[in-house]
Amino acid sequence: MEKIRSLGVFGEVCCAFWKEEPSLRQVMHTIDSEEVYIVPNFISEGYFTKTVIPRELELSGRVTRRGDRVLKYCDPVGNSERVTELLLRRAAEAAPGVSPAETSLVIVGHGTDLNENSAAAAKREVEKIRAMGIYAEALNAYMEEPPLIAEWDRLASQPNVVVVPFFISDGLHSYEDIPVLLGMENAPRREGIFSAKAAHLRGRSLYYASAIGTEPLFAEIIVEQALAFDPQWDIESNA
Amino acid sequence: MGHRIQRVRRNLSETLAIWLGSRSEWCIGQIRIARAAQGFDLCHRDDSNRDDLKVFSSPFDARFLAQWDDADAYRPLKTAPNLRHGWRLILPDIDELRHAIDYFYPAMLGLLRDWDRSALKPVPLRETLSRQSGMYVMARKISDAQAQDTIAACCNSQSRCLKIILWRISAETLITALPEAKFIPPEAASASGRENFPMLCDEACNLLVSESRAAVKRAAQSDSPSRSQPK
Repeated sequence: MEKIRSLGVFGEVCCAFWKEEPSLRQVMHTIDSEEVYIVPNFISEGYFTKTVIPRELELSGRVTRRGDRVLKYCDPVGNSERVTELLLRRAAEAAPGVSPAETSLVIVGHGTDLNENSAAAAKREVEKIRAMGIYAEALNAYMEEPPLIAEWDRLASQPNVVVVPFFISDGLHSYEDIPVLLGMENAPRREGIFSAKAAHLRGRSLYYASAIGTEPLFAEIIVEQALAFDPQWDIESNA
Repeated sequence: MGHRIQRVRRNLSETLAIWLGSRSEWCIGQIRIARAAQGFDLCHRDDSNRDDLKVFSSPFDARFLAQWDDADAYRPLKTAPNLRHGWRLILPDIDELRHAIDYFYPAMLGLLRDWDRSALKPVPLRETLSRQSGMYVMARKISDAQAQDTIAACCNSQSRCLKIILWRISAETLITALPEAKFIPPEAASASGRENFPMLCDEACNLLVSESRAAVKRAAQSDSPSRSQPK
């Protein structure tokens, strides 16, 4: 939020949460502006973007008019074309100097029925990366459904394996659960799990990246999702 | 990004300036705000006579000061009466004061503004619960008695939350499990501003929704052994 404020594009910038404060129910009381762009900070469309956020903010569609306000409900950040760019950047940072031609890139999502849309988005990204032909192979894997990330050495054919979590933020899954499933850790730990050094495991060099939401470019994607909503938005030029 | 989107008519910083009026000292939650030579000087109310406080100078610092209590435990509810001690936050102007208060007590200034302009509509607990989906659907089965107990445990000012409750269990059912002082709505700001900024609760928070679900689950589990006993 501070980063987006510092870009100076919007008159005000607020954030709201489902489980923290300010809540989705509270946040509208804090806003001064008449024109409000709402950008879901979610990796994909799904239960939260389709059900929870519209319900809690009392949105009636893409555009909601309430009193003197217009609320514009934008696409989630995960829908941005630039997510592919972020995943590739994360992968390159995690394995500096490692030849992509001898590397398997594994994008690891959560899986399970609850995250059906998340799995679809992860598959879409892998297909796009595969079509670019940068890496010897690009694969999907999941924590809780096949292909399982725990079997990464059987899924990936290359001597180098780069694993990028398909999550917005680094939390329990990327800090603790995935490293344990990869066999990097016997028990969860938080410090130093993301490093540019290879872990030599199961006869391979394994590189593990942090979640894409911590990338500074992410703030720009949030802004772009808002600006892309309506090319005809009412603007005042800085000039 | 050579454009700027800015159509702002309301202004919470201006409202805050009116509330501050000509006074020199105010309180919100556990925070004491004093007018300083330039700007504002904030600390924990208990710390106003201490001279060994660690000094901070950015509203963004408030986010981290609000995050953990004195024992470094995470504070899931920012209006809980466990704000950490030992800090002093010096801010240069009203905009930074507004942002700092928003980090310490998210949305509380905005809710108070809407209370003042009669734009705050309290939502009964039953309405909040009936809106839930997914794993929280179960919470709507809570009985009035269970709701009273859950509210007493989750919302009491002594250990859980300092906000004033404006909602009821339902249109007909008042909360009787907490002292009356918990429900007294604030008076409108006087011409000389406000001395205290009351923190308002217009709707059950997600913590209470979650506790309501847990109460229903507990009751179902304690019922089930008797049901499974042979007749």
